[in-house]
Amino acid sequence: MNVNVTMTTESPADFRESMPASFRLIPRIETFPKIVSFAQTPVGKLVLLAIFGVGLWASDIDWLPLTFALLIITFIPSKRRLLVTICTLAFIFLVPSIHGPVPLSIVITFLQVFALAAVLFWCAVRWPRSLYGRRPIIFLLCAFWVFIELGTILPRNGRAYILLWQFLFILSTYIWFIGYSLLDANSPNHDNFALQLGVYSPFWGSSNTPFPKGASYLRKIEARDAEQLAVTQLKGLKLLAWSLLIFLGLRWSNSFFHDYLRIPTFAEALKLSVQRQPLPWYGCWGGLIFSFFIGLMNISVTGHRIIACCRMAGFDALRNTYRPLSSVTVAEFFNRYYYYFRELLVEFFFYPTFLRYFKKSPQLRMAAAIFAAASFGNAFYHFTASLDFVRVYGLWRALMSFQVYFFYCVLLAAALTMSTLRQRRKVHPGFLRSRLLPATSVVLFYLLLDVFGSTEHKYSLTEHFRFFGHLFFLNL
Amino acid sequence: MDHKTPIRQFLRDLLARKSDGQPFSDDSSLLISGRFDSVDAVDIVVMLEEKFNIDFAEIGFDQSMIDSVDSIDSLIRSTHAPKPCEGDAEERREQTGHVSKS
Repeated sequence: MNVNVTMTTESPADFRESMPASFRLIPRIETFPKIVSFAQTPVGKLVLLAIFGVGLWASDIDWLPLTFALLIITFIPSKRRLLVTICTLAFIFLVPSIHGPVPLSIVITFLQVFALAAVLFWCAVRWPRSLYGRRPIIFLLCAFWVFIELGTILPRNGRAYILLWQFLFILSTYIWFIGYSLLDANSPNHDNFALQLGVYSPFWGSSNTPFPKGASYLRKIEARDAEQLAVTQLKGLKLLAWSLLIFLGLRWSNSFFHDYLRIPTFAEALKLSVQRQPLPWYGCWGGLIFSFFIGLMNISVTGHRIIACCRMAGFDALRNTYRPLSSVTVAEFFNRYYYYFRELLVEFFFYPTFLRYFKKSPQLRMAAAIFAAASFGNAFYHFTASLDFVRVYGLWRALMSFQVYFFYCVLLAAALTMSTLRQRRKVHPGFLRSRLLPATSVVLFYLLLDVFGSTEHKYSLTEHFRFFGHLFFLNL
Repeated sequence: MDHKTPIRQFLRDLLARKSDGQPFSDDSSLLISGRFDSVDAVDIVVMLEEKFNIDFAEIGFDQSMIDSVDSIDSLIRSTHAPKPCEGDAEERREQTGHVSKS
């Protein structure tokens, strides 16, 4: 079955906003037949790529190799998936050497990680009914955890210690990509490992969170013909334009609010609170609100740019961030803010829990699945993304330093559970009660939650509570 | 047995709850295209568990299994298909002269 890419797939949440709007800052060029026809011609493709290249150049990134990769993939669509793998490997091993030689030991470690991924994938395909084949993700995450434990007990600065930690650092950046491959291994029409490798930190960009998910998703959203490719690329161009606009807004906001109006960041306000020189309540709120919106713009700029490049390569992926401020529930905001992270939590933690446990108690079933994802999964993801901290301070101290973030995860999961269970009950009439008040409440909730959302591990939970008190005129 | 009509109605109701009144065909992607999210997927899963006794913990789960009316229908058919032993199947093929295309 195909996903019809000519259909509007802008929203990760719902389709309300895809209905005809009265005004659009960036027109829906992918719906103009003449432009779509032009984008299918060789000249049209070159023009599109040239404009896209200029956009990448303005985004302050390594635009030339990226544009070149997109050029090759655009003109040889029949080999698209294979070319994605080749470009991804080139971006790992060749492109960084433009800026300086890549140490051989790093290259070897990358190859070791890929070899491990290939073995794990092959085993999952070869023995699907085995204990490992049925639970490959649990095996992967447990094995990773055992390796981390091993790293903390090895004698420091020995050769084994250095090699193991080098391996762990690179493995930690690929762990969820490998996870998606293992999920795909059970699918009857799964891709071979060469194609899986193409989406391991793909050349269009990614974080530790796979953008956009794994090879299985890529198969479903790939453009099937010239028209779909044109539409997808035009949507990519549009998204890059959005990314640039927000990027400009971000720069302006930083210089105006932070440099000119001297509004502090949340980190600065928190530091003053820890030093017992807290800002007045409005200063604390200012710092919190400023950092919240800067964070929102940052994630939009990066996510839009990555997905724009992915679309330019011919894959009609959903946006990572889509109008989060219009969310009327806590769960909807979580869905719209960082879609691919949420999808990771859903696929690796939510579904496995929901499908197996507490089937006779619907509410408990939902709560357990949400806690598994938003609390345990979220904490696990961020903990394994902070491996250097574990290496330096040891496992126990690293766990202790994560107390603030663990608290954040529990609060988030509790709120998501309530939001998910409540939203099934009632819908209020009228714009004020149905949209404005809920949307404001949701933003306020996430603002307050952000007080505990730090992953910097600098201060204790008490310090974060002290700052929380300053917001409400309390000097704790 | 026609499963598609109740499935269509269920999906239509689910979309209506999200104020999405746009039409969809039987092969339209609803989950992967973003019209449904994971909470909606959960509703579909529960419906399939309750009405068709499908146990996803047993058969495994992938979003594409419940992405459209067609995929849900084929999921129901595959899980409810009689599982004859090899000999029975061979015997039936001989009786009907049917040759599987696969």
